[in-house]
Amino acid sequence: MATYDLEEQEQLAEMKAWWKQYGNLVTGIVAAAAIGVIAWQGWNWYQRSQAGQASMVYNVLQKAVMEKDLQRAKAASGELLEKFGRTTYAPLGALTAAKAMFDSGDLKTAKLQLTWVVEHGNDELRDLARLRLAAVLLDEKAYDEALKQLDGKTAPGFAVRFAESRGDVLGAQGKKEEARSAYQAALAKLDEADASGKGKNSLQDKQANAPYREMLQQKLDSLGGSK
Amino acid sequence: MFDAVRNNKKIVQIFLALITLPFAFFGVDSYMRNAGAGSDLASVGDTKITQPQFEQAMRDQQDRMRQTLGANFRPEIMHTPEARMAVLNSLIDQRLLLLEANKGRLGAGDDLLREVIMKISALQENGQFSMERYESALRAQGMTQTQFEAQLRQDLTLQQLVGAVGDTGIVAKTAAEAMMRIQTEERQVAELRIAPEQFDAQVKIDAAAVRKYYDENIKQFELPEQAKAEYVVLSLDTLLAQTTVSDAELKAWYDSHKDRYQQPEERRASHILLMTGGDADKAKAKAKAEEVLKELEKSPARFAELAKQYSQDPGSAANGGDLGFFGRGMMVKPFEDTVFKQKEGEISGLVQSEFGYHIIKLTGIKGGKQRSFEEVRAEIEGDLKRQAAARKFAEAAESFNNIVYEQSDSLQPAAEKFGLKVQQSNWLPKSPNPQVLAALGPLGNEKVLAALFSEDSLKNRRNTEAVEIAPNTLLAARVVEHRPAASKAFDTVQGDIEARLKAQESAALAKKAGEEKLAELQKGAEDKVGWALVKSVSRLQGRQVPPAALQAIFKASVDKLPSYVGVESGNGNYTLYKIMKVGQSAQADENTLKVLQREYSTLTAQEDFAAYLAALRARYKIDVNKAALETRERQ
Repeated sequence: MATYDLEEQEQLAEMKAWWKQYGNLVTGIVAAAAIGVIAWQGWNWYQRSQAGQASMVYNVLQKAVMEKDLQRAKAASGELLEKFGRTTYAPLGALTAAKAMFDSGDLKTAKLQLTWVVEHGNDELRDLARLRLAAVLLDEKAYDEALKQLDGKTAPGFAVRFAESRGDVLGAQGKKEEARSAYQAALAKLDEADASGKGKNSLQDKQANAPYREMLQQKLDSLGGSK
Repeated sequence: MFDAVRNNKKIVQIFLALITLPFAFFGVDSYMRNAGAGSDLASVGDTKITQPQFEQAMRDQQDRMRQTLGANFRPEIMHTPEARMAVLNSLIDQRLLLLEANKGRLGAGDDLLREVIMKISALQENGQFSMERYESALRAQGMTQTQFEAQLRQDLTLQQLVGAVGDTGIVAKTAAEAMMRIQTEERQVAELRIAPEQFDAQVKIDAAAVRKYYDENIKQFELPEQAKAEYVVLSLDTLLAQTTVSDAELKAWYDSHKDRYQQPEERRASHILLMTGGDADKAKAKAKAEEVLKELEKSPARFAELAKQYSQDPGSAANGGDLGFFGRGMMVKPFEDTVFKQKEGEISGLVQSEFGYHIIKLTGIKGGKQRSFEEVRAEIEGDLKRQAAARKFAEAAESFNNIVYEQSDSLQPAAEKFGLKVQQSNWLPKSPNPQVLAALGPLGNEKVLAALFSEDSLKNRRNTEAVEIAPNTLLAARVVEHRPAASKAFDTVQGDIEARLKAQESAALAKKAGEEKLAELQKGAEDKVGWALVKSVSRLQGRQVPPAALQAIFKASVDKLPSYVGVESGNGNYTLYKIMKVGQSAQADENTLKVLQREYSTLTAQEDFAAYLAALRARYKIDVNKAALETRERQ
């Protein structure tokens, strides 16, 4: 064995003392960091694998909708919401299924799907679901509930469509004055978006908007007697 | 319904593929900030849109436009700032969707990928997916399998998101039906047009008003700056006409380049070929050839007959071995050597070439004659003149430059020196548009015009520098007469202004008369109007009245009939409408309704998708590097 000179022996002793004092702490930190990394990786892996499985179920759903196999669509959507409710595929699937149900006249299931998205979806998807839920409620003549969906804050960009829908509901209720001001608000918000350029995208310039603007104007004009 | 949709079906397809880009942009400034001087065009979230990505998108868009517009496609339309911004915008939208898909951990699975690839019909053989075809298709695209599948996976992933947002719009039947009613509502109207001409007699335009209009709108009557110029053109062709070459020179050239004026010799031959394959039948072929040769020696006249019988050259055997005329360098070496040594009619011995053993008979000789000096004189003269003129032009160009510069107050010296004619131009505008420019002849050159309208040329009346307006063509000009930008004289436009004012005034009177009448009718005054032209109008068939009138008619409240509206209907007319009856159009059949309904859903879905994108735009940080976008425009 090698012999140490005095200085070296002193250093060794110092190190040993230090380790005695902090050894446990260092080991603890290293272990905690390792566990953290592993947990984080594991969490990511879990999420990815969940998303991967959800993606497959979502495909089944899309195909079922395309083939108008409503039973299978309903089952796939149910599986997404129950087993993969935390993945983004759940709200996407619910929107897809709701559309298929609505088209086949099953308003009740459509409403369930949309309500789920309203409760669980993130900002934009929730607003899409609110708009669509309002449309279903309008057809059920549940005017007040429809209006309730359309109240409150929306993600930027959705204001015009919300105002328009409000006009549709109010119009159906025979509240001409209120419907008129809703459509007017929609047109004003459309102008505002055009003028500010905020949230502008390739679909929202004046030319692409022209048909939609024309339609809003027609809805407004049809209420007659604007003073 | 929405004419714009019907007239341009493309618009409604945008939201799925982001394929067609709209080109009118308003208020794009607000979110455009200088994102630094780097070459990236924009940053979206944490990612960048790079120069190559943008250029690729521009090319793709250009290809799509070329396909859609065909011969009407002009590349310039792609180089406006709006068009470039539109392309960038759609790239940003795609990027946003991609980021959002990644954030939501969306990803198309392997099984979907496989399924899609297997279904691509171009990759199938007899209805089955073929790996070979797949690989060769990838090679043709210059992609590896990994690259292609990654790209496809990305597309499929985007489709998952886009499909769920864009394809799932729900349109309330109640709202759609209301829209149908709006579209098919029919109103029966009577019309009364109040034409401005009726008021012409009442309108007096006083001279002061005309003058005032002229003074206030002087910009409308501006004439551009113009100049008349004289100019000289020095070109290779003018020098060519002045160049002469003496007979002695021509002859000397001919004598020293005789070989150039020789016709190449051609010979015609027939042959009998006995082919050699391996070593074994080499001896066999030779023996056979010698046999044939012996027979030929006995009766040389039977060459053609024997060729038919024995020759193994498939091209010539049937023609009795005839190969036609050929020059040097067209046949294999041993064959050629023999042929060009033979006398006409002579039959050779065995000639061995790489093909086998030939027996050759020379049947004709053509050319090889020297062309006489007289024959080629014109040709030589042309060549020599051109050479001389080109030499001269190089020198002349320099001296032409110097003369027009040094004796800058006249073009005469240069004209005299080179035997040119000083020509006169018509009035030339300072900066004409391309069509006018092309019609200006030799002076229709931007450099020439810039020089002519430079201060030195206009003020000091100096010659312009010599400008090369075409290869080997120089032009120098000087201003003879100059007209600064000016306004058309008042008396030349007085009549026009008066007519214009009169029309305005008459239209105002027509409108006033119309509005007064309308107000009376709306108050319930007795209707003594001579209504004409009763017609039914609906939004669906909206062509019977001008758009402004259509909107007014349907905007009118019809709680009480008849109801009256009035509109300015173009060309100074004012038209009153009396709405007599409201009903539903009988022409709206089931099919029309279906189309309307579909258009309505599409429009709503498109708006939903646009709102979704707008929301993403607000959530992610987007910076457009305006400087980079503009820099590229200047290229």
